Amino acid sequence: MDIRWDILAEYAPFFLEGTLLTIGLSVAGIIIGTVLGLVIGLGKILKNKFLALPFSVYITFFRGTPLLVQIMLIHFAVVPLFLGKTHAIIAAILTLSLNSAAYIAEIFRAGIQSIDKGQMEAARSLGMTHVQAMRYIILPQAIKRMIPPLGNEFIVLIKESSMASLIAAPELLYWGRAMQGQYFRVWEPYLTAALIYLVLTLSLSFLLSRLERRLATE
Amino acid sequence: MKKLKLSAIMLLAFMLILSACGTSEKSNSDEKNGTDDGKKKLRIVTDAAYAPFEYLDKGEVTGFSVDFITAVAKEAGYEFDLANTGWDPLFIELEKNIADIGISSITITDERKETYDFSVPYFLSTNKILIPKDSDIKSAEDLKDKTVAVQSATTGQEAAEGLLGKNSSQIKKFENNNLAILELKSGGADAVIADNTVIEEYVKNNPKDNFIVIEDVDAFEQEFYGLMFPKGSKLKAEFDKAVNAVLDNGTYAEIYEEWFKAEPNIKVLKDQQ
Repeated sequence: MDIRWDILAEYAPFFLEGTLLTIGLSVAGIIIGTVLGLVIGLGKILKNKFLALPFSVYITFFRGTPLLVQIMLIHFAVVPLFLGKTHAIIAAILTLSLNSAAYIAEIFRAGIQSIDKGQMEAARSLGMTHVQAMRYIILPQAIKRMIPPLGNEFIVLIKESSMASLIAAPELLYWGRAMQGQYFRVWEPYLTAALIYLVLTLSLSFLLSRLERRLATE
Repeated sequence: MKKLKLSAIMLLAFMLILSACGTSEKSNSDEKNGTDDGKKKLRIVTDAAYAPFEYLDKGEVTGFSVDFITAVAKEAGYEFDLANTGWDPLFIELEKNIADIGISSITITDERKETYDFSVPYFLSTNKILIPKDSDIKSAEDLKDKTVAVQSATTGQEAAEGLLGKNSSQIKKFENNNLAILELKSGGADAVIADNTVIEEYVKNNPKDNFIVIEDVDAFEQEFYGLMFPKGSKLKAEFDKAVNAVLDNGTYAEIYEEWFKAEPNIKVLKDQQ
């Protein structure tokens, strides 16, 4: 395998720029997705089935359609509706946030529902309100159980941010493809991109395992 | 128990479908072994997203290029399978000798000649600029402070880079021209640079979009499409002869008129040889 280092050097600044944008997109997606996901997850477990319905519909839609379709729809139809023109970065952040929110909502729901019913009953019998019991008793325990699946979702999110290359957001894979298109070579651009994605996801798993250990009670 | 039966039936049906797929694949590979006269069946690759040259019509690859390569292959005495691989994989398949010929409105350039062989030119094309009717863009010069959408790794991209600089942030590179045009339509770009035939066809088919095509003869060069072969392919000589025969015997003009409703300029193609 011959590697052309000259073209790698030429594209290094673009890969760096692309990596920064990939990190930006992922971090934005994770933060907005988590906040939205918490709201939607809590919405879905509302006792009132009528109020819970829109949240279920949201999750069904965003989990049940391909991200590729969502990103195209949002880029070419939704964003122009509001801005009057396309904006690849806004579209990418919006899609990643909305998509991951659906998955994160289910992670929250599973976490909350995994806590034994007796915990809520005990908290209520101590005189806490439902909200207080949620806030001080249920959620802290649930969050600990949610960390591994959340970490999983964040890693998926970093990788899926590469879809933004299709709407020409100049992130990591966009530059990989640009390089591939220019020199008609596969190893240099894609191996480089793969390595950078690997570094990003590995760092994230490292951070998450640190967090998990700090939260461990035994 | 009932449930078990149902899943057993479904599993059986699934296996049947799978085995059916298996057999049909087998018969395909049998055919691949050769035609009656002992000549190999060629694998021809294309990126069918470039109407009216090569595009999918209800799942079938069709277009000018398909009719043209069918005529040329017949002239050369070959049978072929036409595979829709997409643009970037097409180049890789040819480089790795997985495919025998690429036909996908591929412009003959010196850069590409370093890695591939080309047939004699079979089509004349120029890049043109697609803009909204009310745009103030008059020539390529006016694009300097504008955002331009192109299909990645095409001569349209090269033309845009010639004006705006390589890897300029004003150039948005898309997977195909349809996405680039969609970007223009959604307001994300001020112009699209692409082969004249494609954008002229788009304007003709979508009058409601209020797009026009402008030409800049000084800024963009004439381009010629060729069949692309792996470097050193023995097919080149045979297919050069066949392309010339098709150009000379009127078949080319017939196909050209059918697709573009105009007469081809065969002399300019011949001069280029």
